[in-house]
Amino acid sequence: MNPWALRIARRVAESVVLLLAVGTIVFFLEHAVPGDPAVAILGGAAAHPTPEAVAAVTAQYGFDRPLLAQYGSFLLGLVRLDFGESYTLKQSVVSVIGGQLGSTLALTATALGLAWLLSITSTLLTAGRRGLLGRIGSVVETVAAGLPQFWLGLVLLLVFAVRLGWFPVIGTGLPGLVLPALTLAIPLAGFLGQVTRDEFEDAQDQPFALSARARGLSEAAVRARHLLRHAALPGITLSGWGLGSLISGAVVVEVVFARQGVGQVLVTAVNAQDLPLVIGITFVVALVYVVANVLTDVAYVAVDPRLRTTIGAPA
Amino acid sequence: MLRPPSRRLPVVATTAAALVALLAGCSGAASAEVVDRGPVRGGTLVYATDREPTCLDPHNSGDMPQTYVARQYLDSLVSLQADGSVVPWLATSWTISDDGTQYDFTLKEGVEFHDGTPLDAQAVVDNFTQILDPATQSSTDLLYLTGYFESATALSEHVVRIDLSRPYSPLLAALSQAFFGIESPTAMARGLEENCESPVGTGPFEVVAWNHGRDVQLVRNDDYDSAPADAKHQGPAYLDGITWRFLKDNTTRYGALGSGEADVIFNVPPESQQLAEADPAISLQEFVHSGSPFSLDLNTTSPVFDDIRVRKAFVHASNARAAVESAYAGVFPYEGDAVSSGTPHYDETYHEPFPYDPDEANRLLDDAGWTGRDADGHRTKDGVTLTVRLPYNADGAETPPADLTILQNIQAMEKEVGIEVDLEALDSASMNAVWGDPDAYDLIGNYWNSPTPHVMYIKYSKATLDVGNGQNSAFASDDELDRVLIAGTATTDPTEQAALYSEAQRILTSKAWSLPLYPIQTRLGISNRVKDVWIEPSEGEPVLSDAYFVDGGDR
Repeated sequence: MNPWALRIARRVAESVVLLLAVGTIVFFLEHAVPGDPAVAILGGAAAHPTPEAVAAVTAQYGFDRPLLAQYGSFLLGLVRLDFGESYTLKQSVVSVIGGQLGSTLALTATALGLAWLLSITSTLLTAGRRGLLGRIGSVVETVAAGLPQFWLGLVLLLVFAVRLGWFPVIGTGLPGLVLPALTLAIPLAGFLGQVTRDEFEDAQDQPFALSARARGLSEAAVRARHLLRHAALPGITLSGWGLGSLISGAVVVEVVFARQGVGQVLVTAVNAQDLPLVIGITFVVALVYVVANVLTDVAYVAVDPRLRTTIGAPA
Repeated sequence: MLRPPSRRLPVVATTAAALVALLAGCSGAASAEVVDRGPVRGGTLVYATDREPTCLDPHNSGDMPQTYVARQYLDSLVSLQADGSVVPWLATSWTISDDGTQYDFTLKEGVEFHDGTPLDAQAVVDNFTQILDPATQSSTDLLYLTGYFESATALSEHVVRIDLSRPYSPLLAALSQAFFGIESPTAMARGLEENCESPVGTGPFEVVAWNHGRDVQLVRNDDYDSAPADAKHQGPAYLDGITWRFLKDNTTRYGALGSGEADVIFNVPPESQQLAEADPAISLQEFVHSGSPFSLDLNTTSPVFDDIRVRKAFVHASNARAAVESAYAGVFPYEGDAVSSGTPHYDETYHEPFPYDPDEANRLLDDAGWTGRDADGHRTKDGVTLTVRLPYNADGAETPPADLTILQNIQAMEKEVGIEVDLEALDSASMNAVWGDPDAYDLIGNYWNSPTPHVMYIKYSKATLDVGNGQNSAFASDDELDRVLIAGTATTDPTEQAALYSEAQRILTSKAWSLPLYPIQTRLGISNRVKDVWIEPSEGEPVLSDAYFVDGGDR
């Protein structure tokens, strides 16, 4: 078998096991939560359903069946990629996620792109420079990496949407995407920038940099074509992780900027003990994560040609 | 009645408040000049609210966000006035039998639901059938009808009769709520799932789409001719439609109003109240709900609070007025009675029966035998510390920071007299488990919005206790109170009712079953471009069928 196909097959198998484990963990965690899912379905405790209504719902959804029997039907559903119907939204989980996922992916993908743009710009302009410029770059990155998304989102919203009116407060479409994406991108850019900068500064004294300069390449070309390529590698590795953190950050941003998205739905679903919805979203997020990690591998190979000859080869 | 509509306040807390204050000078300073030349047609109004319903059909469940949006697309049989009387709506007239058990409603003729189904007596009967069907999972409507409702019958095409098992004077007020909006039988027959997504009424607007997590789209019903008698105009609405937007975050919601992206917002954040008042481009409308205010209910079956002296001591020891006024910066009034001041037959004699008095609290606790002290200074009896558990929802949207501040203030005040208050932060699912479990708490926050003083029966009667759904969260009842309240429903004579409901308040407040804090409110922030928005009094529902843009709605 061709090593690439083997590698992908192994990835897919790993992913299936991972997704099954995720589903199982979520299933049992949700069942460990105190509170009656039947009550949650009936609008939660504050809706004060009658015992008759609770009994009817319990029977309808089979909550009175043994836990293992419920787990069995749950697994059967998973195999068919059928997450069932959301208890609270009274819609199929697949259609709920279908209606929300696009918005979240657009947000996180834009944020990841922006984060890279910001960190590369900062690295090229300031990394490895002696004196004030280098120090400023480093401090800005450190501060950016530490900014809480919730706070940053509010500041951007109040300054650029409410006060200056440059962007809509609750807009959809491209203009409405800018501030939420920046909210997620700035801390991540700070983080990526720190990693890239360290690597960049290590690389600039390496023999390949010296030889490039010796060949008469301009300093800017050395920075952009040789050093950056080298320095970007750890950042790419971290991007898979970064996407995961962006999805969790999306929860906050979706609330602040009133965007549709799986993040908001997930929070509501967890609170409402909406088991099918929680599992469905967890699954899809896990799936995105797995795909992102495969893509990270691909990007890694593209940036570092040395890996093209070795990647996928049996260890 | 359920869950706080206006209680969910500063999600954003202090940082945001400070930022808003910092930017105070900016919003709406310009172009506040608008010339009102009377109603004009056109424009889609953006109404931004905090909470999204889980089902649009208000017969299902019965949570406040449903009633607010339902008012826009459903008509009810009657409309409630601020003085407690009702005027015609879908029912043009009605007669009540002398014994008060039979209501005959004559329906307006020629009215059609948005799907073309005619409104007739059978349609109204079908509505009661759906409400009472367990599959509908009604909680609010059911508690109003249970114990009284016998049957609904179509006497003729346009006359429907409701038979009651015993007289029930609050019936008309109850039916005026959008929770009892009349829906198309054709639409209801599709089943709950579809009816939740796209309910069909006869109202001024119809539901076109529900984009979960974002908005509900409503468009004008061009054939509308069944406005309530108290509407500002008859005939179709002026607005082309409404975008009923969900903006959970306080800063975002208020920012959307300030930037002109929303025309009306529900629940102006308390931290933005001063800004809003100072902004010439925004007007405010507030309505204090009647019913039972947001209170801490004391579990009378708890080994501590089964002693009335300890309950009284607890209420005496807390300076609830100071706690509310400081936490809500005066935006929310303090409410010391078991029913809110806007409730019909409210009697202010029984306001704050156990005022702040730590000396009296100490005396009562000594009396009750809690005379020992533990190492932390808390009172003990037979080696047991005087501890009460107060679970609350840790979700900042359910228990806003200001509410938590109130709870912490009360905790500190109780410590002064030696009562230890255990604040237990729980997630929503765990809170579900707490409700209705007499062993799970000593105190719990609760409220019930209702247009009738019968709310006292709904919340504190033996009958509600027997239903066992956790709504009688004090697990309390009193035969004399039940008798007086049932007598209140049995008469329509206002003088007699006033006397009975006053007596009920006397009994109820003497029991120290609850520590009232503040009444629920509907608080709207309205752009000056929009005129004639009003709030109806049954549940504080915003009414947008008379609203219009002074500039025709051009953005």
